[in-house]
Amino acid sequence: MPFELSRTTAAFVLNERGELLHATAGLAEWLGEPPGQFTEARLLELLRPADPAHTPPPLEYAASGGVVGYKVQVVLRGEVLLLWVTLLPLPGVAGPRAGVYGLVKPASSDAATNTALLERERYLSIIFNNIADVTFVLNVEAAGRYRFGFVNQAFEKTTGLSVEKVVGSYVHDIIPEPSLSLVLEKYHEAITTGQRVVWLETSHYPSGRVVGEVSVTPVVDDTGTCHRLVGIVHDQTQQKEAEEELVASNERFHFALKATTDALYDWSVVADTLLWGEGFETLFGYQLPHNPTPFDYWGDKVHPEDYQRVVAGLRKIALATDTFFWQKEYRFARADGSWAVVFDRGYLLRDEQGQPVRMIGAMQDITERREAEELQQQMARKLLTQYTDLQQFTYIVSHNLRAPLANALGFANLLTRVDKQSTVFDDSLKNLQTSLQKLDGVLTDVNGILSVRDRQHGYRPEPVALAAVCRQALHGLEELLRECGGQLHIDIPPELRILGSRAYFHSIFHNLISNAIKYRSDARPLQINISATTSPAQDTTIVVADNGLGFDQEQAGDNLFQLYRRFHPDKPGRGIGLFLVKAHVESMHGQVTVESRVNEGTQFILYFSLYAADENLPD
Amino acid sequence: MPLMKTYLIDDDDLGIYLTEQLLRAEGFSNTICTFQSATEALAVLMREKDAAAPTVVFLDLNMPLMNGWQFLDALAPYREELRGHCHIYILTSSLALADLERSREYELVSGLIHKPIDRGEIRAIQSQLVNEAGQE
Repeated sequence: MPFELSRTTAAFVLNERGELLHATAGLAEWLGEPPGQFTEARLLELLRPADPAHTPPPLEYAASGGVVGYKVQVVLRGEVLLLWVTLLPLPGVAGPRAGVYGLVKPASSDAATNTALLERERYLSIIFNNIADVTFVLNVEAAGRYRFGFVNQAFEKTTGLSVEKVVGSYVHDIIPEPSLSLVLEKYHEAITTGQRVVWLETSHYPSGRVVGEVSVTPVVDDTGTCHRLVGIVHDQTQQKEAEEELVASNERFHFALKATTDALYDWSVVADTLLWGEGFETLFGYQLPHNPTPFDYWGDKVHPEDYQRVVAGLRKIALATDTFFWQKEYRFARADGSWAVVFDRGYLLRDEQGQPVRMIGAMQDITERREAEELQQQMARKLLTQYTDLQQFTYIVSHNLRAPLANALGFANLLTRVDKQSTVFDDSLKNLQTSLQKLDGVLTDVNGILSVRDRQHGYRPEPVALAAVCRQALHGLEELLRECGGQLHIDIPPELRILGSRAYFHSIFHNLISNAIKYRSDARPLQINISATTSPAQDTTIVVADNGLGFDQEQAGDNLFQLYRRFHPDKPGRGIGLFLVKAHVESMHGQVTVESRVNEGTQFILYFSLYAADENLPD
Repeated sequence: MPLMKTYLIDDDDLGIYLTEQLLRAEGFSNTICTFQSATEALAVLMREKDAAAPTVVFLDLNMPLMNGWQFLDALAPYREELRGHCHIYILTSSLALADLERSREYELVSGLIHKPIDRGEIRAIQSQLVNEAGQE
């Protein structure tokens, strides 16, 4: 059946089953197809009136013998084109319904009636090309093939593929694997279910990686056949990246939380609850009954002496000031009942009115640091005491060393000036000798004292049987004791041993006993009692008590144990005994105190702690 | 030389004997009272201060029970009465500078002498006393 139409008119012929028999070359050209390759899918476009309300379906109408004309819109190179289609029944050889003859021409000349429709299309086109989401229309062809019928500008922008290249191309030529298999499966799903299908897809385009939420909606005609798919890709690349960054940052935060030993918290001021990080349980040994806890769960564990300053103080800072930062150091109860020293700092979040909303903070356990500082202070105090002692020692030694020397110098001078036959000469000579002997005595003392100090460094404690040492110390003094009619009673458990030096304990007992004998009272027979007791904590207390002269404790003050201090001018003595007792006791990490009443007696109390003997404080 | 009473306060008997002999050798004083304890000296001084206060007191520093400083502190309430009449010289074997500085805080202390006292020092005290007597 030969016919040719002008460039402005194209035609096609369908058989009685609606299948394409022939189409003019111009038709394919209009529709952007290679000449002679007019396809069934494009044909279907031409049989679908632009006005959805158009009845009856034109193909059926024409096939049944009617003539029908209608407008059709096709998408061509991104542009919407209106065509006017006329369908005529084709009289057949065998019967009245041999086929349908279709005439197609541009509908632009038909301006008046088309204006509204064109206008609507224009708006839609503007919308499509300006929305940020990628929008495309796929024509569904046979054998599971999909051809791009329309794509918007966003498509080009997002994928980097030009509209010209994409429209008219098959999906399998545009979308690379592995995405291709996925989308084909999804398209198929949309067509078979007739439902919108949504999925998340990551594709690699010339423009880079694109993460999008893809939705494909099947466009179904009256017969339930799906000719087209409308797809929208919502670009989520940035959200996705932001989300991934958030996940990473959360992960970092999570690990930071694990790495920190602090107890982090979030105080919701309105609800008055505290949300705890996991550090709280590890740090203080609690098992949180629930999380968040009421505010008082924390407040009740603050040391009662710190409560006002810390808990009430925090509420005041939060509610009555506009401060953002809060920090305090306080004692906080651990689960085992011990006290932790805590450094707590928080940041207050406030609303526009300045009202507190939340406080984020961290509790830090600084107990060890505090203890180390305390130890350091103790050492400093000890050093200061030793320094003062040393200064005093130097002063006293210099004074007492020089006193007999000054006398010796004086007598030597006097001897040159007095008559050799006088008694003054004889006395002076004798006194010169005595002064030199005294000088020698002081030097001997100093030597002894210095050796005690020196030995402290190499001192190794050994268990000393106290009762045995005490009896040995008594040996040289028994005669003196008997002469004055005194009695000595030792009440030390024979098995009692103290870590220390045997020689030091010997010297201590010897000095204390000889002091008791020397300063006895003539008004009553001397009674000396030596006892030692050990507490359950393994601390040992030794008491040496007498009923002698005693002394005025108030007057003696701190001077009793000082070198060359003497309290009984009428009794002979060098004032070195108690100094040595103190030096020996302290070099074994003990303490010595004294209690005395005039004319009643004196008792020396020596205290040794088991742990002090091992103490690592430098001496 | 007018009647002059001297106190010698020192717990060391050798020191007292020595100082007394040295003073006598220079003809320093008619009356020398010696005390081996500061408390004893204080008691006597309180008794005699109105009628027969000593012109010169030699005071040792390092003594048991009451040392030289404590003796001076005990005299502080009577500062006004004693000033001009009673010259206190610290006589110590100590060479510590701290003692010299501390002695300057006491108004009643006229000087600090290191033991043993020598002829020059005794004469200096004598001439100082004569000068003061002449000015009055």
